[in-house]
Amino acid sequence: MPAIEVRGLHKRYKDTVAVEDVSLTVEEGEIYGILGRNGAGKTTTVEAVAGLRRPDRGEVRVFGLDPRRDRRVRQLLGVQLQEAALHSSLTVRELVRLHRSFHRDGADPDELIELVGLADRRRTRFEKLSGGQQQRLNIALALVGRPRAVILDELTTGLDPAARRHMWEAVAGLRDRGVTVVLVSHHMEEVERLCDRLALIERGRVAAVDTPDGLVARAGLDQVVRFRTRDPFDPALLDGVAEVRAVRTEDGLVTATGTGELLHAVSTALVTAGVAALDTTYRRAGLEDAFLALTGSPFDPASSYPASASSYLADDANREGTER
Amino acid sequence: MTDTALPPARRPGPRAWAALVAAEGQMVVRDTAGLVIPLGLPLLTLVMHGLGTTGASEPGDAPDPAQAAAIFERYVVPLVLTLVIATIGVVNMPSFLAYYRRTHVLRRLAVTPANPGMILAAQVVVSVLQSAVGIALGVAAATAWFGVGAPARPGAALAVLGLAAAAMYALGMLVAAVAPSGNAAVAIGLTVFFALGATGGMFGPVSNLPRPVAAVGEALPFGAAVDAVGRAWAGLPQDPANLLALAAAVLVCGAVAVKAFRWN
Repeated sequence: MPAIEVRGLHKRYKDTVAVEDVSLTVEEGEIYGILGRNGAGKTTTVEAVAGLRRPDRGEVRVFGLDPRRDRRVRQLLGVQLQEAALHSSLTVRELVRLHRSFHRDGADPDELIELVGLADRRRTRFEKLSGGQQQRLNIALALVGRPRAVILDELTTGLDPAARRHMWEAVAGLRDRGVTVVLVSHHMEEVERLCDRLALIERGRVAAVDTPDGLVARAGLDQVVRFRTRDPFDPALLDGVAEVRAVRTEDGLVTATGTGELLHAVSTALVTAGVAALDTTYRRAGLEDAFLALTGSPFDPASSYPASASSYLADDANREGTER
Repeated sequence: MTDTALPPARRPGPRAWAALVAAEGQMVVRDTAGLVIPLGLPLLTLVMHGLGTTGASEPGDAPDPAQAAAIFERYVVPLVLTLVIATIGVVNMPSFLAYYRRTHVLRRLAVTPANPGMILAAQVVVSVLQSAVGIALGVAAATAWFGVGAPARPGAALAVLGLAAAAMYALGMLVAAVAPSGNAAVAIGLTVFFALGATGGMFGPVSNLPRPVAAVGEALPFGAAVDAVGRAWAGLPQDPANLLALAAAVLVCGAVAVKAFRWN
């Protein structure tokens, strides 16, 4: 039995379709990432898994149980929500102990506070905590009942790099203890480091499911060339270069992703066109590049893409459909 | 795959209830500003009426202590006690509940084994305790400073206060159900409270009001509570109209609140 199973989930709010059609299966003991742009439907999907949203269509099962009907799901599934507040004038310790009292078996409150790095804030009221500290407290509360699966929505948003690494270790520790983790994230490094598999959600649909490496390999984006130009750059210059799969420009920084002898091909094209490239860097593509190639840039709609990028997206969606 | 057995379904036990009531209690006690009105306003009302009724700064100097005490028992003490339950029920409680909804505290609780309804129940328990403290304070002050005796019908007084408190809490639930935020709940609650109080004798005996206004005020929970508690204190029989008004407030406000309440 999988830990979490979502089949054909569809959810709309009035005129807006939040989730078009999402199906995914999270196996017990894995860290499963859910990646997507803002508004892609990630949070609605996990809220449906948590039983907070009633699906308009489709089915959600947590350890085989319907989260909207079976209260046992509350004992099995810990949930950290985005934007959830707690009793404002209670302290960290009081809140962890309060939530501990909701479960018969559970973690030791003080150990848990230690785990999320709030030991020196034990006696601080919730309203006096920083955003990152409130986040960490919410993670502690998600874990206090020793759940068999946990949903972490935006795990490390608002955390400084040290706290973020600390939290990653804690999540990896959960997997070592056999806890299933669903990680909703924007943070590519986080997903790449932690997730065994991940689902890429795009416009309310699952665009791809794979391991992080598998997704990068599948995208075929094994190389990236970045450079700046003194004058505004016309991406059409690289249209004819067979090795180039996608080009985007952002504040004068041009990023070309592609295959083969990419650096050489791009350099040649630039020299031919008489464009002087500055600060040129070259590297193998990572998950972020694959993500952007699959979903388009979330920040700069004016960026240009060769037609191949969008047809590639369609190809991949089809491939996903037939392979799985 | 190892298919471990699922645990049996369990509802949160007495420990969870105790912890939630304690949590709500801490929220109320730590909300210092919120304590001033339900505990301070009734005492201030008591003292100012006391000075006015006795006509002297020293309570012992009253021209006719027996008559002054009678006015106190029939009008001032009931008003003071009604103020306690009305401010707590109509202003304070809804502000907490609307804040919990607005900031997704209720939603956070919905993903734990605790039902968000438990937080409402715990808040009512704490409101009852807070009302009991306020009533005890008011009665103690009235006894110590102005020589007011125990109610002639203590059982009736307690029962009527309980019914009046239920009416105020039901009204408070209705405020919490319709208010979009904690701030709005305070604004709506205060408006309702002053409207009820003004027509129910907060600013002077109802007999001083124009007849139609007084009639409306007596049919609303504040005026009905003041008169009913006064009757119990003075040993007079209860007026069924008062009890009916209070019971109607419980039922109507309670039903509409349940229908209108949104969890998020």
